[in-house]
Parts: sequence; structure tokens; C-alpha cells
Amino acid sequence: MSNPLVDMQKPDVIFCIGTNMTECHPVAATGIKKALRRGAKMIVADPRRIALADLADLYLPIRVGSDVALLLAMAHVILREKLYDATFIDERTSGANAFLEHVKDFTPEWAASITEVPAADIEKAAILYAQADKGAIFYTLGITEHICGVDNVQSLCNLALMTGNLGREGTGINPMRGQNNIQGAGDAGAVPSNYPGFQPVTDPAAQSKFEALYGRKIDLEKGITKVTALDQCGKSIRAMLIDGENTLVSDPDRDHCEHALRSLDHLVVIDIFLTETAALADVVLPATAWGETDGVCTNTERRVQRLRAAVTPHGDARPDWWIIAEIGKRLGLSGFEFDSAKSVFNELCELSPIYAGLDWDRIDKGEYQWPVPDKEHPGTPILHQEEFKNGRGLFKVINYRDPAETISDDYPIWLTTGRRLQAYHTRTQTGRAQGIDYLLAEESLEIHPTDAAERNLKDGDWCHLSSPRGSVRVKVKLTDRSPKGTVFTSFGFNNVPINVLTGSGYDPITETAELKVCPVRIDPA
Amino acid sequence: MKISANNESIIDQWKEEPAALLGVLHAFHDRDGYLSEAVIRDVASGLKIPLAELYGTITFYHHFSQSPPGQSAPRVCTGPVCCLNGSAQLLNALKDQGATAMACAGRCDDPIPVLKGHHALRGTDNASLEEKATPLPARNPGNIEECIFANIRIPNRAKFEGYRDSGGYLAVDKMLNEMSPSQVLELMTQSKLAGRGGAGFPTGVKWKAVAEAPGNPKSIVCNADEGEPGCFKDRAILDYDPHAVIEGMIIAAYATGAAQGFIYLRYEYPQSFALLEEAIREASEAHYLGDGIGGKEFRFTLHLRRGAGAYICGEEGSLLNSLEGKHPFPRNRPPFPVTHGFNNLPTAVNNVETLAAVPQILAKGPEWYQSLGLNEHAGTKLISLSGDIEKPGNYEIPIGLPLRTLLYDWAGGPKAGRSIQAVTMAGLSGGYLAGDDLEITLDDPCIRSKGSFPGAGGIIVYDDSRNMVEAAHEAMAFFAEESCGKCFPCRIGTERLTERLARDAGPTSITDWNAEVDDIGTTMMATSACGLGMAAPNITKSLAKYFPDQVTKHVQKSP
Amino acid sequence: MVSSQSSNITLDGEPVSFSAGETLYEIAKRQETIIPTLCYDPRLEAFGSCRLCMVEVDGIRNPVASCTTKASDGMVVRTTSPAIEKHRKVLLEMVASENPDIAVDPLRGYASQELGTLVDDYRADTGRFKGRQSGQSFQDDDNPFILRDYDRCISCYRCVRVCAEQEGDYAINIRNRGFNTQITTEFSGTLKDSSCTFCGQCVQTCPTGALADKKAMRAENDPGEIKKTRSVCPYCGVGCSVDLLSKDDRLVGVQPAMDGPANQGALCIKGQFAFDFVQHNDRLGSPLIRNEAGELEKTSWEIALDRAADGFREAMKTHGRQSIYGVASGRTPSEADYMMQKFIRAGFGTNQIDNCSRA
Repeated sequence: MSNPLVDMQKPDVIFCIGTNMTECHPVAATGIKKALRRGAKMIVADPRRIALADLADLYLPIRVGSDVALLLAMAHVILREKLYDATFIDERTSGANAFLEHVKDFTPEWAASITEVPAADIEKAAILYAQADKGAIFYTLGITEHICGVDNVQSLCNLALMTGNLGREGTGINPMRGQNNIQGAGDAGAVPSNYPGFQPVTDPAAQSKFEALYGRKIDLEKGITKVTALDQCGKSIRAMLIDGENTLVSDPDRDHCEHALRSLDHLVVIDIFLTETAALADVVLPATAWGETDGVCTNTERRVQRLRAAVTPHGDARPDWWIIAEIGKRLGLSGFEFDSAKSVFNELCELSPIYAGLDWDRIDKGEYQWPVPDKEHPGTPILHQEEFKNGRGLFKVINYRDPAETISDDYPIWLTTGRRLQAYHTRTQTGRAQGIDYLLAEESLEIHPTDAAERNLKDGDWCHLSSPRGSVRVKVKLTDRSPKGTVFTSFGFNNVPINVLTGSGYDPITETAELKVCPVRIDPA
Repeated sequence: MKISANNESIIDQWKEEPAALLGVLHAFHDRDGYLSEAVIRDVASGLKIPLAELYGTITFYHHFSQSPPGQSAPRVCTGPVCCLNGSAQLLNALKDQGATAMACAGRCDDPIPVLKGHHALRGTDNASLEEKATPLPARNPGNIEECIFANIRIPNRAKFEGYRDSGGYLAVDKMLNEMSPSQVLELMTQSKLAGRGGAGFPTGVKWKAVAEAPGNPKSIVCNADEGEPGCFKDRAILDYDPHAVIEGMIIAAYATGAAQGFIYLRYEYPQSFALLEEAIREASEAHYLGDGIGGKEFRFTLHLRRGAGAYICGEEGSLLNSLEGKHPFPRNRPPFPVTHGFNNLPTAVNNVETLAAVPQILAKGPEWYQSLGLNEHAGTKLISLSGDIEKPGNYEIPIGLPLRTLLYDWAGGPKAGRSIQAVTMAGLSGGYLAGDDLEITLDDPCIRSKGSFPGAGGIIVYDDSRNMVEAAHEAMAFFAEESCGKCFPCRIGTERLTERLARDAGPTSITDWNAEVDDIGTTMMATSACGLGMAAPNITKSLAKYFPDQVTKHVQKSP
Repeated sequence: MVSSQSSNITLDGEPVSFSAGETLYEIAKRQETIIPTLCYDPRLEAFGSCRLCMVEVDGIRNPVASCTTKASDGMVVRTTSPAIEKHRKVLLEMVASENPDIAVDPLRGYASQELGTLVDDYRADTGRFKGRQSGQSFQDDDNPFILRDYDRCISCYRCVRVCAEQEGDYAINIRNRGFNTQITTEFSGTLKDSSCTFCGQCVQTCPTGALADKKAMRAENDPGEIKKTRSVCPYCGVGCSVDLLSKDDRLVGVQPAMDGPANQGALCIKGQFAFDFVQHNDRLGSPLIRNEAGELEKTSWEIALDRAADGFREAMKTHGRQSIYGVASGRTPSEADYMMQKFIRAGFGTNQIDNCSRA
């Protein structure tokens, strides 16, 4: 997030797109609800009439995967109505001319034919957002889990840049991170492109720094992504260490994934449960759980906070860092002699510029948001306040592309997937918390009553949901929260392995799967 | 979530209106006789009110039913005067029709009112129930000059023609042609007219504060939620001289710069509602309401809203919350309505009686109005007199008139063979006066010197046949029933005092009983958040002061 | 509007400066002057219903509620006096008279001890003012999280206000009026049938334990003291601060950290109630390795770690260092992520490391 969570209470106009925030980030959503209570206006763009849409002043029911078209047309209207921030464009951005010339072609009427949102509503949305003194954009995986995920994000950046809604309180482009420490995983360098602190592996200076620290040669090339690695299992990839991820259930195209993991020579999984993924491993190593582990996590607003152990670990479980270090030691590696989480974290701080001002003791109260470049620095609640990281904010010329697969006679219905309030991800944890099944006992396919009637399906009937990759059996739930022609389900229940169906395509840059769009067929079971 | 087709038109008709909720709820209540779950869900969606909040708000009001027979089932007044007239028996007689009790319905001059749908019937038994007009106020025997009632007996005064023919709207005409808003404010301040709903705040000062407060649109709210037991004066004005109130509101709007007005009328006055609706229509047709009033750039729209049975809505914060469609709790003060009233914008909330006096004052001048009072007191006050008295009804008295003159010379004294044991002040809120304290003059300083206050001017008379502890119990039960439930001292205190007056709970030793009742009352008076909780203990305090023997007998009698 | 001149009030005889908009209660709190309250939650708009916080102000006849009264220059304020203390005691005795009893287990909720503490502090006579009890427990609400023990409700409406103002769910409200008020959902139903999201905020603000954490209450009779450990919720990326409640070395509940920098006391159903997976029977208690029959079997750490290392060594030898891949987690602490990338980079000199953010 470019702005802190408390800022969510401060915008005049809130634009939520591809985020089911009240279910997936409920506490963050309370900030937005406070802003609304104060009188802020909200635009919600989402294929489903989610709870957030009920709170919106303007709801745009866009067709799945048509975000770029919507955002191009909004930019068109902002240009046409001369509602852009010329000073901001002048002083803080580059590439505006080409962009503004580009969007002249994309009228709301053009976008209406793609997005299925009335042109007049697109105009209203554009004007509302552009006229805001403080306009803030919020998005999550509904923007990124597409073959055009990067284009979607860039399109949002274009809107914020042209209206000057960046670098100030109550503005910004704010993706909400889905996992408690997904930010920290990236911060710590667990990505193929960066060392800790986002130091590029392709930067020779960073390379030599880490070679010196780790005492060996390290490639200057990026590694492959996990998506590619799964494709390469049994081929170029032969051994895998997976820590705390239920890859099999959470990733697209489950059959492909299972086949991939089975074709490895060696699979080691560290987890707290024997997940579907762990069950395929050669070695399963029990980790201590949350509540049993001291450590650090970084939240979606880049706030670095301490996790603390409250109880003795279950059985013979050990901290993840200890387990990995022990494997390292057994491979004869040096530099793995840590005696505590504190010593691990302090090493990370020493070699990460964004954590340079931090250490284990300084983050005791959690008041720091990175970057914290030195010990005198108070932290950085708002990014891009004076200037962007690379100087100027760059407009990108983007064009609309259809999803990897579009509906056809064989697969006439759009499936979009997501999460539910009461379940977290693959339910390895929430599924094992007493009482949750009172509210969410089983998976269901949310379908518009008309679509159901056309297939002779009643509420609670079973259906077969099929894509070119497979078929699952699921109960239908009739609701007008799903628009006609689009169905929804989550991937939380192992007995409805929805990711058997998904995986039609990947964003070419991030290799994020198009989990949000998958044409399907529905037949009574 | 989608609004059903058969509810959509009513919701669409109302949802852009100011103060829509009460309007839309009454429209459905009138259509169906009750508010069904489906209707409540649709109204919540249509007006964007959280469902639980709307449900809670509806349950707050006495008269909104959520199931059949609903509105058509009789509601029988069991207020303090009606219960002296046999309301318990009448209620019992109507039980087979699904009758329920209601708090004082403001017809103590003509008991016993029974509400059935839109009909306000009156009678003392089932056979005698019929719809009757409000009794016309009697002239005073001394022919003392009146202000508000001066023209009320003119035939046809309630109609625009009749009002116009008897000098109505001349004040507005004169004002628009000859006076600036600040001159009107000045004149009202000079007249010393003060709020006649009970608070007694100078009207001119209030209007000036609204005129000077930032924010638009400003509003004029006429408080016609006459809920105090023993008070029924506003109904007489509204039924016989509605245009006087409208004219007063137009003057208030001109003086303050308000663009909209609301009359908040209590539910129990359906006839008044119809008369007011008609009067507003007539005034609009005559271009006294709407755009370009008097050919000037002066716009004032007037909206009539009906309450739904809640005494607390006569408290201005609750009234404003009710108008806005919120839970009708009183508001914390400050800020006051003059700066943060309807929709948090500057608002003058005035009583019916206050507004009705305004055209007269504008027409005849502030000196004339001041001179109507006796001694140093300015102006007149309407008194609603009821209970054990020969001639109950509304009287307009010069402020400072001796109580005894009113009771004996004007109203004929107690019924034959009886003597007056006690009277209430301010309806019930002022508690009782008895003994030597009956020798007062009817003005604020004198009444306050006896530990009471004049309030809205309701006086209920109890003759020597009455058990004052029973009367006090009825009174306290009313306050407990009407306590909004927000502040602790009132919510718990009214209940505990009621229980002790009924001997349902509490000590059996007179010393302990007095200590508990006194402690509760003292803390309620000092700490309650609004006037209800501060005033309710006047009942027990004055009971202890004047009738200690009756109290002792009550506490010590075997259960 | 902001005046550059400093404004002062006199608080219990001492001059105190204040900033525009500050209430008397806030000023007193800043001065560490304790004023009792029951309806006050610093995160909510002041409501002014319990009246315990009343103070005397020169020139105003009745005491005023300090939580709703804004300071103005020159005010002379007394937070205590014999009359004020008497009113407070009487008020507490009146409140106590509504409920069957006052003492409740602290596991019920964060604020559950507030009434009991005040009743003790004021030596209030809970036997005075006996009469009908207000509130009626909702026995039929069978949800597994929130106990609706309204017998103990004192109608402070903190739950209603926190649900609206803090959570924005508007699931509960106030039914009826006066002594008959009752906390309710729409149409008096169960929480499951309302817009309640089971975030537990109502439980944690309740000053009497009328709304209570059913899951935590399962440990009421467990031995030992309640231990509180500050941590961060394990679910989404918001990073809400929590206090883990443990008893006898077991997690028994969670309470929101009211001073949590990311959440300021807010939580959702997952953070509030979905903590007990930690103690689930399915937890892995010892390392497993695949045996010759192809089944996973329990083993020692030594054997399992050797086997894990052997596999990577073998892969490197046979297929080269590029053939080993590490998948880190967005769910583990940063130390695990750091260690994973160090393992791959220091161990094999590659960048064959990723995490689950693409899923």
C-alpha cells in the first residue's frame, strides 16, 4: 500500500475495484466504512454484487476480466472533461502526452460494449473520482489474478497519476496483501528476482555484496518463478523445499500441480499439518505454529511487527528457521548457526536497506513502516510523498485484451473464484477452528436464479462444473449477488477442488494465474 | 435486497423528500394496517437505513404495529385523567376487539379517547363512542383580552377564506412589504415572547441565533408533539386556527432565513392532521408557501410529519432525531438546535402556541403583547385544565393570574360536595401543589418558588376523594413507560420509583422506603440527560412533601 | 478558527490548558484524573448515557457529563465532591439492581470487569433498589462464538455503537424503550440471521460480560491464571495486533489489542475466534519420512533432517544446483523466509526461490 491503513478513513472518494474487502480484509474495510459514515462517496467495480457494493454510491457490475476497458474509458472521460491535474502531471510524471493521446480513442460507449456497464455510469465514476480532493484506489486479487494483471495495475496507476491522487494523505493506490506476512516474504528476499530489501539479483553490486556475505558465487540471473518451476518439475527441477504452502489446493490446475510434485525426485515440506501437499512429500518436517513461535511479520502497509510465542510448541515441532538452518548445516553450509529468531531477523536488518534502521528490539511496539533507512528515521507511512522511487511517475500506454479463454457454446458461463469471510485460503487453519463450520459448513456455487432455472437447478442441488481442464461436483446456491452469466465459488474446500478447473492463462510478466476468469459449463449432477 | 414491486412506488414517492422515514412508514402502516417484515426490509433498502436500526426504531414507537389487527385495533387512553373517568373498564370492554392501552392521548377535556385507525373516538363506554370535534375554548368570565384565542371562535377561521377574512396573513403581507428580517427579530425580542412549550426560552433570541448560525438550508420546526399528560392546548389551536401556526412559521422562516419547515404532530391527533394537511394545501395555493412568497425572493416549503406515539419526541433533540429517521433518543447538548438542528443545520424548534402568537404580535406590536400580562409579567399562557373540576378545558390566562381565580372563578371550582386536594403543574412534570401552595399566581417565578414549574401549562385537579399515592403511581408509570432508555438514572429510576409506588418492590420500613425514593429522585434530578428524568421525581418529591401520611399508610399496609 | 491564545480550565483547582474540541473527560484523563464511566469506549463517539462521569462546573446548576461536554476557556471544573460521589454510588447501586449478580470471569471479554470493579471501588450496596431485572438472555442463539447473556446487560449500548461506528456492520440495535430496552438484531433473530460478521467487537467492549466469548469461556474452569501475550493475527495482511490468552500453557482465546497500530482494537471473525487450529489433533508432532512401502512414518529429527539434506545433495550431484527449488511462505515469520532464500542462495548459488504470492 502506498498509504497507511489509518488513511482508509480519510478519502473523499473511494474507488474499490476487484476487492471483496469486507470478507477478505474485514478490519481494513472498517476504515472505509468509517469514511462513508463521515460522508465519503464510494465507487465499487466488481463482477459480483458483493457486500461492499451495497455500501457504494455507484456500483459498476463489470464483466470479469474487462477492467482495462473500464479504466481506459474513465481516463478518456477525465481527459474530455478536463478534470486531470495538470500541475501534478507536469511536475511529477512523464509519458503523459502519449497516454492522453492514446485514451482519446476509448469512449465510455466503447467500454460499455466490453464491460457491460452502462456508459453513463462509467462517466459518473470517472467524474466522481477525478473531482475528489482526496481520491483513493483499493484493489486486491481481482485486479492481479488475470493474464493482464500488470496492465490492470498500470491502468489504475495511470488514473491516479492523471488526477494527482498520490503521495498525499487519503489518496494512493492501495493493494491489500492477502497473507499476514506475504509482504515480509518479499522483503526478506524469498523471490527469484531480488535479494532481501528488493535489491535486484541482476545488479552486480548486490550480487557481490551477497556473495561476500554468503561466501560463495551467486548467479546474476533471476531464478524461475514458482509457476514455471511447477511446469519444470521432473524436468529441470528435481528437488523442492516447500515451507508452509498448500500448493496443491491453492494453485491453479490441480491435476497438473499434483503430477508436477509427484514427478520430483525429492520433496521436503515444512508445515504444521499434513496438508494435501505435505502428503506427497518424501520428508515432512513439523513446524511450530503461530502462538508458539517468536518472529516478525510485515503487514500490507509495510508495518514491521513482532509475533510472540504464548504457549509451548505442540509435540516435537520446531521453528521454520531452525529446520531450514539444520538442513543447511547438514549440507555443510556455513552461516547457519543461529540461536534465535532474533539473531536471524537482525541479520536480515543488517543487509536490507529498507530495514537498516530496525532491529528486533526496536520493533517491539510495531510503530515502524519501512523504508527505515537508518536508526534515526521515523519510518515511512506514505510512499511517494516528495517524489517517486525512480523520479517521475510513469504513464503506460495500455490496450485491452480478452481473457485467455472466453465463453463459448461449450463453456458458456464465466466462473470467477475468491475467498469467504469465515474461511482462510485452503482452510488448513480456519477449517480446524471450532465453530467456523457453524457459519460455513460446505462449499457452494453461487449462481443467478435465471442461470439455475435454465439448467433445471434448484437451491441446494448438485451440479457438475466443468472447464477444459476438468470437472468438480458442487452444490448450487441461488443468489442475485452473482450476475446472470457469471458464477462464483471459493477454493477453500478440499472436497470441491476448484483449482482443477482454473489455469487457463498467466500474466506474461508476473506469471500470476488467471484465477479470476475461467469459462465453464454447468450440468445437473 | 431488491425492493418488491408493490412497495416500490410508495418508497420512490418518499425517498427524495426531507424527513422521509416517518412519512414512508405511515404510508405503509395506513395501507396494510401494520408494518410487515417485507415492508421493513424494503424501506431499509430504499432509504439506506441499516435493517436492525430501522427495526429498533420502529419498536420504539407505541403505535407502529408489526402484525394484524394492527392499526384497526382500538387503543384506549389510560392517562391520568382518563383513569379517573373509568378507562380501565372501557379498555376491558373493548378487549374482544384487540384493544390495548395507550398513554395520555391529549383529550383530558373530553375523556375517554379511543383511537381506531384514523378515527379518534370519544366516550366513556362502548356504546357512547363517537367521533367528535375538539371542544372550543370558552371565553373567560372577566372578558380579559386574549392573544392566541382572540380569533379562534370566529366561524370558518380554520379555512383559508375564514382566516383571511378575519385578518389572517396580514401580518405576513405587512412584514414582506415593510420589514427586514432583522427588524422582525428585533420586534420579537422586544415582545418578550418566550417558548410556550415549557422551556421558556426567549423566541427572538432563539431566532436571532438561527439567523446568525452558518449553514443551509435552515429549518423551522413546529413542535406539535403535545404529549404531556393533561396538556391539550395545541390541539385547540391546530383544529380551529391552523393558519395562525402556518403564518407564524412563515414569519419565523423570513426572520431566520429558513427555507423549509416541518410540523411534527403527535400520532393521536388524526383530525388535526387532516385539517393541517388541508391548511397547508390552501396556503400553498395562495402562494404563502413555496417559491416567491408575496412576490418576493422568499421561498419556504412546509412539510407535515406525524409522530408514532412517543412522549420523548416532544423533547427537541428526540424530535429532531425522529424527523431524521433516527432512533429517537434525546441529543447531547450543546450543541443546540439553533446551530445543529435538523440534519445538523441551524433550526428553530418552536411550540405551536408560541408560533400562533407570532402573527398577533407582529400585527399589534410588542408593547401590546407585553401589556397582556399582569404586573411585571409579559403576555399570556394557555392552560389546559382537567381532572376533578367543573369546567375542564383550555383557558388563555394573563401571566400572573392567581391559580384560585382560574380554578374557582373561571372553571367553576371542584365538583359539588368536593374540595380540591391537589393540582399538578406542567401536566405531570411539575409534580403536585397542595395546601397553602395552591395560593399562587400562574407565572414562572411564583411557581418555581414552590419547587415546581409551569411547563406547557397543563393542570390536573384532584379532589379530596382521590388517593394521591395511586395518582403518583399512575404518573410515575407513565414516565417509566415513556423513558427512552438512554440514560441510566431515568431508565432505572423511573422503573424503581414506579415499583415502590405500586409496592411491587422496595423496603417495607417507611424510613428505608423514604431514603431509597429520595436518593433515587435526587440523583435522577441531578444527573438525568434530559427533562424527563429530571422532572419525574417531582412526583415523588411533592408527594412526600404534601402527603406524608398517605405515603406512610401505603408503605405500611400489608401487601 | 484555531486560536493562537492558550485556553485553560481549572480542573480540581489546577489550571490546565486544552485544545479546541477536547472534552472535560479527555482533559481529565490526560491529567491522570480518574473519572468512572460505564458507557465510554475511547474509540467511540461519546454517548453520555451512564452519567457516572458527571462533574461539577461553576455556573451550571446540574452536574454535566464530562464525556460529552467540551471544554471552554475559563471553566472551573470539579471531578469530585461529596454530592458527586453520592450520585455515583447511587447510580452504581441502581445499575447493580438490574442484574442477577455482578462478578463474571474475565475470560468473558476485554472490558468485562468494568462494572464489577466500579461496584467494588464505590462499595456500592448491590442489595439496594431491588426490583424487576432488565434484559433477558437470548438462550436460543446457538452460535458458537458470542454468548448473549442479556440478564447482565445494563443498556450502555457500547455493543450497538461499536458494531455501527467501529465495525460498520450495524447488525444490532435497541428494541423497545425505557426499562424494557433490549439489544436485538432485526426482527429479534439470531446473530447468524443478521448482518453480524462475528468480529467479536461487541463482546470485547461489553462492560459487564453480558456479551461474552463462548470459546474462551470453555476454559473458565481450567487451572491457573490467564496469561496475555501480545502478538499479531495470523491471517490476512492487515496485521491486527492481538493479545493471546493462555491458561495452563494452552491458548484459550484472543482479545484485540486496543492500542494495536494497524487495527486500533478491531478484529474480524478469523482473528477473534479462529485461533484454536494451533491445538488441533491434526497438528504434526514429529517428523515424517516416506518408508519403503511408500507411506509416511514418524521418525526422529536427526533422521528426517539427514534424509532431507541427502535428497538435496543428491539432486545437486545428479542434476546440478539449478535443479533445486525453494518455495517460501507468506504465512511464516520473516525469519523463515529469510532462511529459505539464504538456503537457496548460499547453498546452491541460484535464485531458484519464490513464495506463494502468485497464488
